[in-house]
Amino acid sequence: MSDLSFDAVVIGGGHNGLVAAGTLARAGKSVCVIEQSDHLGGMASSVDLGDGVVGPLMAHLVFNMDDKIAKELGLRDSLQSDPLPSISLAPDGWHVVMEGRVARFANGRPHPDANAYRDLHDRLLRYAALLSQLADRSPPQFSGGLSDLSTLRELAAMAKLGIDMKRLGKADLREFLRVILSNAYDLVLDEMSDGPLAGAICADAVRGNFVGPRSPGTVFTLMYRMGAGGVPRLPKGGMGQLSQALGRAAEAAGAKIITGTGVSDIEVKDDVITGVTLSDGRQIATRAVLSSTGPMCTAQLAGVENFDVEAVRRLRNMRAKGTVAKLNLVLRDVPRIDGLDDRLMAGRLLVAPSAEAVEQSFNPAKYGEIGPRPVLEAVIPTLSEPDQSGAHVMSITIQHVPHTPDGGWDMVGRERVIASAVDQLEMHMPDLGSQITQAHLLTPADIEAATGAPGGHWHHAEMGIDQILNLRPINGAGRYAFAVPGLYLCGAGAHPGGDVTGRPGRNSAKQLLQDGVI
Amino acid sequence: MPRDTQAVTVPLGAIATPFHPRLEALSTAKQWSNWAGFISPAVLDTVEFEYFAIRNQSTLYDISPMKKYSITGPDAERMLNRMVTRDVRKLRDGRVGYVMWCDEEGMVIDDGTLFRQSGQAFRLCCQEPMYSWLLDCGWGFDVEIRDDSDAVAALALQGPTSFSLLSDAGFEIADLKPFDWREVEPGLWISRTGFTGDLGYELWVDRAVALPLWDRLWQAGQHWGIRAVGYDAVNICRIEAGFLAARVDFQAVHATERLHRGRTPLELGFEKLVHFDKGHFNGRRALLKQRDKGLRTHLCKIDIDGFKPADGALIYHRKRREVGHVTSGVWSPTAKRNIGLAELKAPYGKSITKDLWVEIYVFEEGVWDKRIVPLTLTDRPFYQPARARLTPPAAF
Repeated sequence: MSDLSFDAVVIGGGHNGLVAAGTLARAGKSVCVIEQSDHLGGMASSVDLGDGVVGPLMAHLVFNMDDKIAKELGLRDSLQSDPLPSISLAPDGWHVVMEGRVARFANGRPHPDANAYRDLHDRLLRYAALLSQLADRSPPQFSGGLSDLSTLRELAAMAKLGIDMKRLGKADLREFLRVILSNAYDLVLDEMSDGPLAGAICADAVRGNFVGPRSPGTVFTLMYRMGAGGVPRLPKGGMGQLSQALGRAAEAAGAKIITGTGVSDIEVKDDVITGVTLSDGRQIATRAVLSSTGPMCTAQLAGVENFDVEAVRRLRNMRAKGTVAKLNLVLRDVPRIDGLDDRLMAGRLLVAPSAEAVEQSFNPAKYGEIGPRPVLEAVIPTLSEPDQSGAHVMSITIQHVPHTPDGGWDMVGRERVIASAVDQLEMHMPDLGSQITQAHLLTPADIEAATGAPGGHWHHAEMGIDQILNLRPINGAGRYAFAVPGLYLCGAGAHPGGDVTGRPGRNSAKQLLQDGVI
Repeated sequence: MPRDTQAVTVPLGAIATPFHPRLEALSTAKQWSNWAGFISPAVLDTVEFEYFAIRNQSTLYDISPMKKYSITGPDAERMLNRMVTRDVRKLRDGRVGYVMWCDEEGMVIDDGTLFRQSGQAFRLCCQEPMYSWLLDCGWGFDVEIRDDSDAVAALALQGPTSFSLLSDAGFEIADLKPFDWREVEPGLWISRTGFTGDLGYELWVDRAVALPLWDRLWQAGQHWGIRAVGYDAVNICRIEAGFLAARVDFQAVHATERLHRGRTPLELGFEKLVHFDKGHFNGRRALLKQRDKGLRTHLCKIDIDGFKPADGALIYHRKRREVGHVTSGVWSPTAKRNIGLAELKAPYGKSITKDLWVEIYVFEEGVWDKRIVPLTLTDRPFYQPARARLTPPAAF
């Protein structure tokens, strides 16, 4: 017999799972979130790095959270912090600062490509706003015919998109269609000379994905980042606080949250969901399961025999090669960078000296190797909000680290990854090495083990043109409903995809309600 | 190091089956056809002799080109139950079931016979190459899938004297009921199955001992009028029995390139073999949707006026609206009827069954002639002798 009963069970207490639970709870449904680890947040968590020093476990910035959604989820307060400037560190000391549409040198001198940057930024922002119309609802399907209300709604939304595209004007629309499937490298270098500014844009275009800036589809991923403006922010109190706030919002709406136990089985009877079994043996009766873990993992929990053979084949072939490692350095004191004031030091520091360098950062990863000069994004959150311990934390995402290098992970390999980041940063902050008291590295393999993200992928599934909209994560499961009636995907593997946006969770819950499952 | 330059001869063209030496010697017509890459007789002597031998004596037809797969392991039943539309759990050990399997849209990939050897061991026999599909179906299940197509030779022994022949050849198979199968001697399995609608058996043996088996049957069969036959005669019999041929009466969906050329088991008239109550199987959700929304076509058995075979002819309602075509049409020498199978666009064939006409073109000695003849739909096979079901079969 079941120990508990809910209208819906959400698997995974990451930001998407919590958003899904909150959305359902606000609609008056009884919901339970099951999180296998002992804390909420998944990739958007804080972690105790020892001696009471707290840092972001994995993700460290929010830059893609729609204001409307933040308000709906009660996150306005956590996101009240000031936008961070982005600084692309230059080997010659002429660091480039990007704030919104403005690019300049850190030393105050105008950047020769400032106008080109402003134009490109504005243009991409216009296109991204178009695309983001598609992001806050289920992808269109048009299967219902013209007599179907939901199809008419979809058509209306597409008509609005069409009109908005038309409004771009002929030249802009043509440009949009020209670049949408193109690569970031060509786009950027068509407009400006190669260097730290071009490198920074290219780094943002590839972040989290198994691509280099010359890979097709990287203009799309760049636009995706800018869907909500693309302004990076540190959530107040750290990443963990954001997830805590989401958890509190869900609980305030009536959701129950169970941590410290995972789901060992999704029960299916006569082709409908009947409940879940937890790893501690408890059983929960429910008619709907929303899973924010990986799509294949979800299918296996429900039993692959409940899926069509073709769906399983597509899941097996889903592209999800994790390429981001996370490094947290605990520092005695903050190292200085010549020419950066306190405000800039607290910003988003990028090591992507050129578009060429970003492409070369990708090369070793293609062959399962650890590269010497990977692209880095570093932030020192303790400069914005001091840690109680007085120590500082430098949070670094290292792009283009293979999931598992040839021969597997060992101490030597891990040290090489850490060194690849520290050595590059030491070029700009020579005293960094001497300040490090601890280094915590999470490889993509570690991230997969800790969160269940397929392949340790930052976005659960590669954000490629073949894996977006109706095709995300796979053809046939693009509208959250996942084969078995009552089973839904609500994680980053679902439309619109990764980053801390809450959108997959919110859209999935809304689709579930619209489908009338509960 | 000098590279090995010795030429390796790769045989070109159609491949001989294990029984080919015997067929070659018997063939006077030399009418060979290519069956899935193998040399297979269309006619060995004359189609009339061969047809009447099937209906009155005993005949051997080489079915070695059929694809044969072994599926074994603790999850074999579960895996197959997810693949085919029928409830495999109800197939007992030593039984054979006619099965269909569909893609995710409910379109038939192929049909075939599923042989259950034991709780955990099955053999699937079908027309189309299915190895990679089976591997896909087996992913996530504890099963071993092996392609036995080349390792196993197979013979269809069909006809009213076939039981007597097998008894004379020393096989004790009197208790074998239709759709039973058993290992009668080490390495030799006999199933009471066939493609003719009459009493008959199929024999499955390692290809290395194929010819001794043929010789043993041939020797025992002299008294029972044994003949070897080709596909043309078998084809008449299978239409009389109302059996479907893949790529003829329906298109195996994986072999189609155009959209919507596949057909569902419901459209082919096999609703009884689609067990919606057994849990999920491939294409189930699509088939349920189609069952509710309505079928696109109906495959029907038809009886046509006159005697001109109507293969491929168009079918009209009220002689005006084109509503389908004949997929297999033949003059049935035993039923003395002009019969066939036809695909009709729904609702023709189900709710509209009257006033249907076949347009048959006949080309005779340089002159085309067109006839519009009425057609009648029938439910029953055109040929269904009681002896086919009798156990033990009557001695002839």
